[in-house]
Amino acid sequence: MVNQLYITAFYVLFALLAPPVTLGTICKVKARLQNRIGAPLWQPIFDILKLLRKDETLSKTASWVFRFAAAINCSLAIYLVVSVPWLQPKPEWGGIDLFTFVYLLAAMRLFTLLAAMDTGSAFGAFAASREATLSFLVEPASVLSLASLGIVSNSPQLNIIFGFHNMHAFHPGLWAISGTALLLASIVELSRMPIDDPTTHLELTMVHEAMLLEASGRNLLLFEYANTLKLTVLFGLSAQCYLHLIPLPVDSRWEVYAIGSVVMLLVVAVTVAVFEALAVRLHWTKAPDFIAYAITLAVIGSILALGAGGI
Amino acid sequence: MSLSLNDLVAFSIAVCAILMVGSTHLRLNIFLFSLQTMLLVYLSTLYAHHHAEEHLYLIALALFALKAVGVPVFLLRIIRQVHVQRDAGTLLSAPIAMHTALAFLAVSYMLARQLPVPPSAGLGWPGATAAISLVCTGLLLMLTRRIALSQIIGFLVMENGIYLFGLTQTRGMPMLVEMGVMLDVLVGVMISGLLAFRIQKSFEHIDVSMLVDSKE
Amino acid sequence: MHPLLIVVLAPVSVLVLSLLIPSTRLLSRIAPVLFFVQLAAMAFSLFPVLAGQEKVFCLLPELCVDRLGALFSLLTQVVVAAATTHAVVFFEQDDAHNLQNTRSVRIFYACSSLLLLAMTAVYFCDNLGFIWIALETTTLCSASLVYYHGTKHSLEAAWKYLIICSVGIAFALFGTVLIFASSQYGATPKGSLNLSELSAHAEYLRYPLLRLGFLFCLLGYGTKAGIFPLHGWVPDAYSAAPAPASAMLSGGLLNCSLFAIWRLCELVRASGHDSFVQHGTLTIGVTTVIAASIFLVHQHGIKRLFAYSSIENVGLMIIAIGLGSGHLFFLLAFNLSVAKVALFLTVGNIVQSTGTKAIADIHGLLAKNPQWALVLLAGSLAVSGAPPFGVFLAEWGLLVHITQFHHWLVVAGLVIGLTISFLAVMFHVGKIVCGTCRPGDISFYPWRSVLVPAGLMVVSLIAGVSGLSQLF
Repeated sequence: MVNQLYITAFYVLFALLAPPVTLGTICKVKARLQNRIGAPLWQPIFDILKLLRKDETLSKTASWVFRFAAAINCSLAIYLVVSVPWLQPKPEWGGIDLFTFVYLLAAMRLFTLLAAMDTGSAFGAFAASREATLSFLVEPASVLSLASLGIVSNSPQLNIIFGFHNMHAFHPGLWAISGTALLLASIVELSRMPIDDPTTHLELTMVHEAMLLEASGRNLLLFEYANTLKLTVLFGLSAQCYLHLIPLPVDSRWEVYAIGSVVMLLVVAVTVAVFEALAVRLHWTKAPDFIAYAITLAVIGSILALGAGGI
Repeated sequence: MSLSLNDLVAFSIAVCAILMVGSTHLRLNIFLFSLQTMLLVYLSTLYAHHHAEEHLYLIALALFALKAVGVPVFLLRIIRQVHVQRDAGTLLSAPIAMHTALAFLAVSYMLARQLPVPPSAGLGWPGATAAISLVCTGLLLMLTRRIALSQIIGFLVMENGIYLFGLTQTRGMPMLVEMGVMLDVLVGVMISGLLAFRIQKSFEHIDVSMLVDSKE
Repeated sequence: MHPLLIVVLAPVSVLVLSLLIPSTRLLSRIAPVLFFVQLAAMAFSLFPVLAGQEKVFCLLPELCVDRLGALFSLLTQVVVAAATTHAVVFFEQDDAHNLQNTRSVRIFYACSSLLLLAMTAVYFCDNLGFIWIALETTTLCSASLVYYHGTKHSLEAAWKYLIICSVGIAFALFGTVLIFASSQYGATPKGSLNLSELSAHAEYLRYPLLRLGFLFCLLGYGTKAGIFPLHGWVPDAYSAAPAPASAMLSGGLLNCSLFAIWRLCELVRASGHDSFVQHGTLTIGVTTVIAASIFLVHQHGIKRLFAYSSIENVGLMIIAIGLGSGHLFFLLAFNLSVAKVALFLTVGNIVQSTGTKAIADIHGLLAKNPQWALVLLAGSLAVSGAPPFGVFLAEWGLLVHITQFHHWLVVAGLVIGLTISFLAVMFHVGKIVCGTCRPGDISFYPWRSVLVPAGLMVVSLIAGVSGLSQLF
């Protein structure tokens, strides 16, 4: 009982802190690699708080859909943070299964697209079409990698798949392959390098930022916060996959899992940052080649899960 | 059902080959080939330790020195002299070729299930799946690439697959035969490399689909 | 004297001499002498096996040859000796027109001696793995021979040859590994590649693995021989190689790969799966014959013409192998090789004198060089299977043998294929031989240049007319 209290406290604290800090870590590591000092780790928190105080400028052609979509987007993101096991140990709240997870991601994407197209700007619509293309190309990768893990765990519930309480056999190969597939798919979903540069100023090449061009003030706050949460959840899931590579004893103390999750999340963030610093942005027509890698790894994972029962 | 370390390594070799098909960057292909051969060396030492076969240690050593280090260095030198970086215009685009390689993996799984279980301990079919898929992937590389060097790399991947099959289904062929095979393959690679270099000098490119001269 | 030296001494000496002697005239005269000496020595040592007094002749414990292998190795020796004898004239002619590169000639002799060594090794090896190694070595040596001229055309032909044959040989290696895997279930728990051991315990070989292994080896070694879907390299390689090299390739190397297939067929037959072997080889043989004869109808290059004729011969020999008749196999191989060597050497003369390989540009040979024209006619008649040459007897024997097995479709297909190819070859050769003679051709050494081909055609005539074939 006391354990549950500690776990819940740890989880809530981390759920509040981790999203901005993860984003801040990525930016900081990238900056250091590019020979700059870079903003401090807490900068995203300050940015979000700054947006609270700002005024809003709304386009004349925007309707209630614009406000509405932003709010729903953020609520869905918060729901994801609460129900997806991106961080272990997880308190015993309800969980979702992997198909609901993918649909929730798609729903978030839908509302972002609606908001982007509602303002009537050409940049927004262009970016919306790119985001839609990328999402349907990369969906097989995320679904198949999670499904292969589900086959091995005999359940589609994410809590059971990623939980440490089951007597699964040790499948390092499958977790590594699915984890990498999930990581690559997350990079595409979040439109980070090499698909799109998050710090670019060229609107015609933007995928995610162009959809937020028309948002300002509290709307922008909702969108940015939702993006940060989505980033944390997706990278957190990949970190959990890599955590399963370590043969931790089943049912050990919750601190072990906590420290492991935090360390793994940090490792994944640093890896993503290094990759972003070194990678070159791919030409749009070459993006499917990168996505093909993610899909290939996911399919290999599913072949292994189906044929071998894991490896 | 969980598979052993040997099977894990065998599958990683197959995965390396499939990733090789997805990239037309020649240096990346050579790096993946070198990685694949080193995994094969590791697997040979595992088998040598498990079955107490001394000759497998020697074969693993020769494989490391010649195929994992020597051949990639030679091919990198040829790339530098011939000034090609990428294999442009393959017959199948890289993603589709990678998915075709995946289909071959599924097919080789079905084929491997038909083979009888080898008398040595352990499951036979993971190694056989990986080996047959390596042979098919090597064939795919040879047939769909235009650059002469990619065809050489495809041939070497095929040889790796055949060696892997011998390793997992039997306890490795007799030492003299394996050494002879490796020597022949190396001399073949050297001659092909020299010819590829000459092709560049004659044709201003090493695109073998442009070699349609003899129509007389 | 250690028996190994008989086989090894002459090629190694030619190899060493080609690296040391700077003069190509001296080298080209010494090499045939050494090869003929080796021929005599080999005939002498192999005589007990040929006469049936001894079963095998062993150089080393693992290198034994039986009667059929001895016959084939002697045939190969004859082919190489004849080709290198004619090469004297060939290189002299090149030299006279300053077309020669000393380095290329020395590489030619070095690779030819290595080729001879490797080809002899195929016949002498009792071990499937060593047979593979020897055949791969022949591929590598002959690729250098194909690249002799150093032109764009020969580069393309050498590349195609190397790649297609390497893929084929890799399949054959896969088949060898499968057969090795099939052998570890019975009397030899560690597996064995030794053919005598495998044949002795043939019924213990696991059938699925053996069948798969045989198919892969058939495909692989068949690529090296030139069976139908995988024959792409044959016309280019034979056309680009210099005449003595083409003669060695078609007269010697072809038989090596077919001999390897023969050994495998014997093994599978010993394990009791006769019908499988027959079906596979008969299908491949008939398809190859018919396909080659269709290709022969529309040919534009003289060397490519006889290359396709070579492919057709491969089809015939594979059928003989599939039916299990070693006698017919060797008869066909001997007669066809002799005829083909004579043909390719004469064609080499023609190409050297006219400077072109296109049939449309060559005519009037009878008027200009009657000796060459006669030998060419005789050779084409022989290769297409017309009497009175030995090939006719061999093909007739093959057809009779097939009817004993009641494969009527095969007989019909063969007859159609052979007829079409005969008509096509004679049509093209007729265009070359008849007509008015070209003004710009060079004619050289009418008697010396035709000595070797004419000699070989006389041998073929004797084999056809007399009862020499009963000896084999």
